[in-house]
Amino acid sequence: MSITLEGYGVAPGVAIGRVHVAESNELEIGEYRIGPEAVENEIQRYRKAVKAARNQLEELADRIGPEVAAPAADIIQSHVLMLSDSKIGKSTEEHIRNELCNAEWALQSQLEQILLEFRSMDDDYIRTRGEDVTQVVRLIQSKLGEEATDMPFENIPDRLADTLVVASELTPGELAILYERGVAGIVTEHGGPNSHTAILASSLGIPAVLGVRGARSLLKEDSPLILDGGRGLVVADPDQETLDHYRDVRLEAERVHRSLDSLRQQPAVSLDGLEISLQANAELAPELEQSVSAGAEGIGLYRTEFLYLQGEPPDEEAQLEQYRSALEFLGGKPLTIRTLDLGADKSTDALDFSQLRRAANPALGLRAVRLCLRDTALFKTQLRAILRASAHGPVRCLIPMITNLQEIRLVRNLLEEAKSELTERGQPYNTDMPVGGMIEVPAAALAIDELGSELDFISVGTNDLLQYALAADRGDEQVAHLYDLQHPGIVRLLRYILREADRLGLPATICGEAAGDPRYTRLLLALGLRQFSMHPARLLEIKQVIRQTRVDAARDAMKRWLANPSASSAGGLTELLDRSQAEGPQ
Amino acid sequence: MIARNVTVINRLGLHARAATRLVNCASDFKSEILVSKGPRVVNGKSIMGVLTLAAATGTELTIEADGADEQKAVDALILLINNRFGEDE
Repeated sequence: MSITLEGYGVAPGVAIGRVHVAESNELEIGEYRIGPEAVENEIQRYRKAVKAARNQLEELADRIGPEVAAPAADIIQSHVLMLSDSKIGKSTEEHIRNELCNAEWALQSQLEQILLEFRSMDDDYIRTRGEDVTQVVRLIQSKLGEEATDMPFENIPDRLADTLVVASELTPGELAILYERGVAGIVTEHGGPNSHTAILASSLGIPAVLGVRGARSLLKEDSPLILDGGRGLVVADPDQETLDHYRDVRLEAERVHRSLDSLRQQPAVSLDGLEISLQANAELAPELEQSVSAGAEGIGLYRTEFLYLQGEPPDEEAQLEQYRSALEFLGGKPLTIRTLDLGADKSTDALDFSQLRRAANPALGLRAVRLCLRDTALFKTQLRAILRASAHGPVRCLIPMITNLQEIRLVRNLLEEAKSELTERGQPYNTDMPVGGMIEVPAAALAIDELGSELDFISVGTNDLLQYALAADRGDEQVAHLYDLQHPGIVRLLRYILREADRLGLPATICGEAAGDPRYTRLLLALGLRQFSMHPARLLEIKQVIRQTRVDAARDAMKRWLANPSASSAGGLTELLDRSQAEGPQ
Repeated sequence: MIARNVTVINRLGLHARAATRLVNCASDFKSEILVSKGPRVVNGKSIMGVLTLAAATGTELTIEADGADEQKAVDALILLINNRFGEDE
């Protein structure tokens, strides 16, 4: 008879296969005494185990590589930090010294103390982090017993296709091993939506249901199982009807996945023949790789803040190196480098930033180009690095948060100074490197004819533009509902920007999250957008929508809507545009 | 010794990723670094210490550094926090 169990659906997708119950490899932690003369030996044994654990995590990070989104790398990084945390390391060593006990036991006592502290927190999220500490300690303990067994899951078959692994809990390391062996899905008894197992399963694309109580006793080895990661259900011994239903669901998902994959080499052309340029937003090497493999035409937004968040501000050579390697990676595709877009002043020590923050609204304060124009030495170093990079490939320079013409002129002056310094040094650069502005300030958007006359291109940062125009912070749950791209005022504002840019012959890109959100693709096309820049993971999905859109029909529907937005039926503008596709142009 | 106050402004507060970045940043400096929230003081180079601060968005923290590179350390940490740990746009 079929049984259905519920848990947290943390990674969507349907898996159909057979159960494999993973042996609980919880270690028996024994305590034994050691003599004072053995203390140093024991501490060395402990340090060796920590090192082995770190090696395993770092290998893991290398192995799962760039196809896994940043969250996975962050989790592994936080586990590496825990390994070397003095709360574990130093305290365990002291425990060994003072209590004259074995490393396993000292570590266990330490863990219990740390967990006590975590469990006393009245913050759900932080309490959950206690699981991470446990996993890290278990990893060290398994390394201490390493001589005996070298791999977790020795009893698990090498190939796990069509196998659903049911376990008490899984560490990120164990999950990575299952991933490599092609596991179809996972079910665990412990862990919730906040757990790192959840985040990792989702970024690895393994359908997963966590927190299924009693799963290991209720689900029998080798019995047929359906896992619905989206709804958080597992169905054991399903009847034929359920099985057929889920087979259809899975087939459909595979079909969508395949059709997206086949789009990599296809052009982004609408049904009525408009060619659209799709570029990617990137920062670090993995995103660059992802961008190239998704078929991006270039990088429409290359963020540089990360260079400045590593202690010392980077010097010209270090920046140049970074930009050049990005260019090399892109193999001739254009790279749009955004100058520093930070919101706090690092180098004006005279100015106490904490007081500045209290005095003013930081979102409206000294940030981005405003900050750069305050600290021109810092800014010119970056401009020289960008100029020098422009000798090595198609580089465009993008200035964030432009407010008025004066700012553009100041930036242009600094660029001229930077150029003559380079000429003096005899270093090459592209004399005609395009300079663009990010349109995020509503007043700048409405003055686009004036500002545009001194810019080579514009890039619309919809995230900040919407926040400023709607006076609503989307990060603030109490007002986030106001943050709406379909507000008639926003639609008109975007339409104005894109029409004016078109009239002025000014290339315009949208690089905010709206560009990578398939719900808005038809709206942006109808508004006249022809260049999108988005997170590389979204690129194929957006391309698919473009290839299924008649822009002329969407534009007609939008015009009718603009004449009387409140007359529109439920579902709003985006649904209206979707429906327009069936009707065709009028 | 240098101490400065700062408010956590990123949406998720000092969650695992943000804490990891903070500890990584603190560990780049030689100075001893303490982070405190009210009476609770933790080692800024300890991920578990920083996590147990449970600093949600809006929390005021004090960053204290003591050592040869204390000024740079405090500047870098304040910058990191004010920039929401590089989250979002």
